[in-house]
Amino acid sequence: MKFDKRRGNTKPEIPTASMPDIVFMLLLFFMVTTTLRDVNVLVDYKLPEAESLEKIENKRLVSYLWVGKEKNIQVNDSVIKLDELKDIMYSKRQSMQGIIVSLRIDRNVDMGLVTDIQQELRKAYCLRINYSSTQKY
Amino acid sequence: MIRRRKIKEASIPTASMADIAFNLLLFFLVATTFDIDTGIGLTLPEYLPPEKIPQIDVQKDRIATLYINEKGDIVFNDRYIEIGEISNNLKPLITDKIDVPSNKKLIVSIKTDRKTVYSKYISVLDQVKKAYFIVREEYSLANYGQKYKDLDTDTQKIIKEKIPIIISLAEPGTN
Repeated sequence: MKFDKRRGNTKPEIPTASMPDIVFMLLLFFMVTTTLRDVNVLVDYKLPEAESLEKIENKRLVSYLWVGKEKNIQVNDSVIKLDELKDIMYSKRQSMQGIIVSLRIDRNVDMGLVTDIQQELRKAYCLRINYSSTQKY
Repeated sequence: MIRRRKIKEASIPTASMADIAFNLLLFFLVATTFDIDTGIGLTLPEYLPPEKIPQIDVQKDRIATLYINEKGDIVFNDRYIEIGEISNNLKPLITDKIDVPSNKKLIVSIKTDRKTVYSKYISVLDQVKKAYFIVREEYSLANYGQKYKDLDTDTQKIIKEKIPIIISLAEPGTN
């Protein structure tokens, strides 16, 4: 038996002409999904833990509110006072319909402050809230 | 004799295009964050000035009360209870009220002290939610033979109407 080494008469090559197209496609996907929003978190906080968590489906509607260990409240990029909260949240609600306020509150804050914040949110008509917490295993 | 120079075809070198695109891609890959915020969702009631709050009488058996005092003790319907027991105690109450009309469903009222620690409140709220999710899961398995999350949205909606999560947050007392 004769083993015939058959060789093609062309050089084996992977066509790379479409590589940029593929890469651009990937690039486009990541460009669209990236939300470049880096808020400097000025407060120090540690979230509480919970078991039955839900995910927020619509990330674009979420607005964050931080409350740190020292009971300082942060919205956007600045630390604010409690009585300023209502106006800020109201103007936010004007520009974002169906806003969800995600409360990132430190686990050792007392409920008095949390209730006060909730009252201000109610006055500002930001009724959908989310107590941000981490998964407990 | 005029020799006409042969003009080379003008072209932009595209060999490095892939490299450039890869660099850009790498940047966006690194910069993308897929952190989906997780937490416990809640809808607050509309704000009404105190004098306008309507007094609605609710039957006693519709309400399950949870009170968390400043030390973190939990009182469930006038009885001290541990955190882990909440969902087990709440489950039969929710199950009883599956087939009643929507204005007779269970209301869970959570009351805290102003000095109650936030994490305690979250773990209680978590337990309440957990009880509701377990009941929904059981109902879905018993009636549709499927897990709740595998059902289509219309059926999920029906279950949500059958077993609505009604949580009432009472104004925290100071005493």
